[in-house]
Amino acid sequence: MLKTQELTLNMGPQHPSTHGVFRCVLNLDGEYITKVVNHTGYLHRGLEKLAEARTYTQFIPYNGRLDYCSGMMNELAYVMTVEKLMGITEEIPERAQYLRVIMAELQRIASHTIYVASFSLDIAGFTGFMYAFRDRDRALDLIEAASGQRMMPNYMRIGGVAADVDENWFSQLQKLLDDMPASLDEYDGLITGNEIFQARVKNVGIVTREMALDFGFSGPNLRASGVDHDLRRDEPYGIYDRFKFDVPLGEQGDTFDRFVVRIKEMRQSVNIIKQAIKDIPEGPIMAKVPKVIKPPVGEAFHCIENSKGHLGFYIISDGSTKPYRTRIYSPCFVSLGFFPIVAKGQHLMDAVVTLASIDIVLGEVDR
Amino acid sequence: MFGQGLIKGLGITFGHLFEKKITQQYPEERPVLPERFKGSFSLRVPKCIACGLCSNACPNNVIKIESEKDENNKKKLTGYKMMAERCLYCGFCVEACPTKALLWNHNFERATFFREDVNLDLFNSYVPSPEDEKPAKPEKEEETAKPEKEEETAQAS
Amino acid sequence: MDIFIKIAGALQDWLMNGMGLSVTASELIATAVWALVAILFILVNLIILVWMERKLGAFFQMRRGPNRLGPAGFLQFPVDIVKVLGKEDIIPAAADKPIYKIASICAFVTTICAFAVIPFAKGMVLEDLNIGIFYFIAIGSTATLSLLMAGISSNNKYSFIGGMRTVAQMISYEIPMAFSLLGVVMMAGSLRLTDIVEAQQNMWFVIPQAIAFIIYFVATIAETNRGPFDLAEGEQELVAGYFTEYSGIRWAVFFIAEYGNLVAVASIATIMFLGGWNAPFGLTFLPPFLWFMIKVYCMIFMFMWVRWTFPRIRIDHLMHFGWKFLIPVSIANIMVTGIGIYVYRMITN
Repeated sequence: MLKTQELTLNMGPQHPSTHGVFRCVLNLDGEYITKVVNHTGYLHRGLEKLAEARTYTQFIPYNGRLDYCSGMMNELAYVMTVEKLMGITEEIPERAQYLRVIMAELQRIASHTIYVASFSLDIAGFTGFMYAFRDRDRALDLIEAASGQRMMPNYMRIGGVAADVDENWFSQLQKLLDDMPASLDEYDGLITGNEIFQARVKNVGIVTREMALDFGFSGPNLRASGVDHDLRRDEPYGIYDRFKFDVPLGEQGDTFDRFVVRIKEMRQSVNIIKQAIKDIPEGPIMAKVPKVIKPPVGEAFHCIENSKGHLGFYIISDGSTKPYRTRIYSPCFVSLGFFPIVAKGQHLMDAVVTLASIDIVLGEVDR
Repeated sequence: MFGQGLIKGLGITFGHLFEKKITQQYPEERPVLPERFKGSFSLRVPKCIACGLCSNACPNNVIKIESEKDENNKKKLTGYKMMAERCLYCGFCVEACPTKALLWNHNFERATFFREDVNLDLFNSYVPSPEDEKPAKPEKEEETAKPEKEEETAQAS
Repeated sequence: MDIFIKIAGALQDWLMNGMGLSVTASELIATAVWALVAILFILVNLIILVWMERKLGAFFQMRRGPNRLGPAGFLQFPVDIVKVLGKEDIIPAAADKPIYKIASICAFVTTICAFAVIPFAKGMVLEDLNIGIFYFIAIGSTATLSLLMAGISSNNKYSFIGGMRTVAQMISYEIPMAFSLLGVVMMAGSLRLTDIVEAQQNMWFVIPQAIAFIIYFVATIAETNRGPFDLAEGEQELVAGYFTEYSGIRWAVFFIAEYGNLVAVASIATIMFLGGWNAPFGLTFLPPFLWFMIKVYCMIFMFMWVRWTFPRIRIDHLMHFGWKFLIPVSIANIMVTGIGIYVYRMITN
C-alpha cells in the first residue's frame, strides 16, 4: 500500500550549518518544511546567575563570552550600564571614549566578516569563507595587540579602558582601513554579484516591515526590512553623536538584503574609525573611580547597537559590591523566534540559508 | 548578460592563484606575538609579598596562596597554585599585583596529556634568573626615560 | 610512440602462438589485461588528480594545501588510502546489507566500463566500437543506479534525501549532455570516436560548436556531482548525502569512482571538442598520447576552477535550468548545425 509520510528530521546540536549548538526538529514533506520546533539551551552556562556572585569588575570578562564574535561590544554595553548606575557617564575621559568607539567598530568589522564567511560556507562557496577570514585575522591581530587576546578581550573597564595603544597600533590600523574597501569589493565580486548566489538568496525568507517589528528584530535584520532605526544615530551613547555615517537600509527584507546591509555596514564602520583616528586626543584613559565599586541602590538599563542588534543590560544594585540581578537582553535569542514561522513551506536548503542570514551566535542565545 | 557575475568571480579566484600564501608553516615559523599577549603565567617569587590581591581579584578562585609570617612579622610566600583549568585569562590578577611579581609570558603551547598537568604550581616550579630584578616593561619605561632626559637637559645647560 | 600498441600486439601474439590458445581465449585474456590497465590508469590519474584538487583549492584560497608528505605533498593521497584501509567496516544494523555492499562496487564498475571506448591515440583503444559515443552515454546512465542504491540502503534519512536528489539531477542532465554531443556527431558524420577525432584534423570542433561545448561542460558537472551541482552530497544540509554511512574502504571506492568519472568525462570532451590527440598548430614534437593527456588535464583544471569558485545551486533552480534552459538551447544547436551542414553541402557542390 503506497502512502506518503512526513519525515521528522532532527537538525541536531551537531550539524555543519546550525552556527553552534542549536537544535531544531523539522517536519518535512518531501523536501519542504511543514513545521519547525526550536530547541535552545545547549550552551547555557548560567551567566546571569554567575553575575550575582561576582563583583562588578570581576564580571567584565564573562561578557566577552556572550556573543563570542563581538567581545568588545558586549563589554562596552555592560560597562556603560554600570557607569549609568553609578552616575559617572559624564566623567569618562575623551581618549577613553574615542578608544571605545574605535574598538567597538573594529569588532563590528570582525563580527560581520564572520557573517560573510559562514554564510558563504553555508551555500558551499568555500573560497569566500577563506577571503573573509583573511580580513578578520587582521582585525583580530589588532585587538590582540591592544588587549592581549583575540576573542575575549577584557578591554573595557568601569570608567574607561584597560590599556592605552601606541603609534604602531594606529599605523597598523590605518593599513587595515586602507585595504578594507578593496576586500569588500572582492566580496561583492565573488559572492554578492554571483548569479548562483543571487538565485539562492533573493526572495528567500522574506520578513516584511510589520513582521520584523512584531518579531522584535533589531540591528541589521531590522534595517534590512526597511525600518530606519539605528541606536548609534537615534539615541547616541558615548560620543557617537560626533561622527557622520550613513545607515544602510534594505527594501524587501529577504536574505539578500540582510547580506548586503551588513557589507555596507562594514564600509560605514571603516568610515567611523577613520573619523575617530583623526580626532583622538591625548590624555588619561581611566576616570577616577573608587577601587571597590559600590553603586548606589537602584537599577539601570542601557542598550547599545551590537553587531547583532540591541544588546541591553539591566542591572539592579542593592548597594553592595555585587549586583543583585543582571539581566541580559540578547538580540539573537529574540530574533530566533522568527525561524519556525518563516521557515514553514520553505525548501530545506532555503531554511538553512534563512537561519544563516539572521547571524545567530549561540553564546548569546543561551547565555 | 546572464553570466557576468560568474565570470567576474572566476577572474577573482584566478587572480589569487599565484599570490603569496597567507598561512604560516607553524612549527617552523613562529607567530609574532604582541607584547601584551596572554599566554601563561610566571611568578617572580622574590618580588612576591604574599598580599593576596591577585587571589581576591580573580573572578573564579583560580589562585591559592599559602604564606607564613617570618621573624619580622612580614608575610613570606610558601605556596602558589593556579588552577588554570578554571582560569578565564582575564588578567585581573596581573593588573592587581602591586610589585609586578605575577606576569604574563608568551608560552601558548600548553597542551598536556593529563588534566592535572594543566594546573600551575608557580612556587615550586620557580627558577631564579637575573631578569627577576628588572622592572616589568610597559609603564616603567617612562620612569627610566626621565633620568636620561634630566641628564640631557643637565648637559645642555 | 606506438609502444603501447606494440606491447598489446606482442602480448596477443604470445598468447596465440606461444601458448597455443585459441583466438577467443587470447582475446579474453587480452581484454582482462586491458581492464586491469584501465584500473591502474584510473588509480595513477587519481593520485595526480586528488593532489591537484587539494593544491588548486588551496591556492585559490591563498593557503598551501598538503605540503608535508612527499615532495610538495604528492604522497598525501596514497597515505590517506593506507589510513582508510585500516578502518573498521561499519555497516548500520538496519541497513539493507547486500545492496549496501554492492553499491560502491557498482559505481566503480560503471566508471571502468566507460574507458573501454576511449581512444588515447590512434589505435590505442580497447574496442573501437562503431557506436562509441552512444555506448558512453548509455554507461553514464547506469551510474545513477549505484548512487540510488547507496542512498536507499543506508537506513538514514539524510542518505535517503541525497539519493533521491541524485536520481533527479542525473537523469535530468543526461539529456542536454547527449544533445550537445549530437551536434558534433552530425558534423563528423559517424558515431565512432576515432572517426570523430580524425575529422578534427583541420579545425577542432570547439569553434563551430562553442555553445554545445558550454552546454556539455555544464551538463557533465551535473552528471559527475561536482562543483555547483553537488547537491547530492550537500555537506551543509545533508552531512554527506548518499554516502553518509559509508566509511573506510567503501567510501574510498566511491571517491575513486567519482574521480574516474571525472577523467572519463574530460576525455570525452577532449575527443569530441578539443581534437583528441591532434597536436594544436601542428606542433608534433610531443607524441599524440601526451597531447591527449595535456588536453584532458586542461579540462580538469577548468572543472576544478569552477568548483572552487561557485556556491551550490538549489534543487528547483537546478531542474529549471536543466529542463527549461539547457534542453531548448541544445535542441536549437542541433537545428542550426543541421541547417549549416545542408547549406555547406549545397555551396560546395
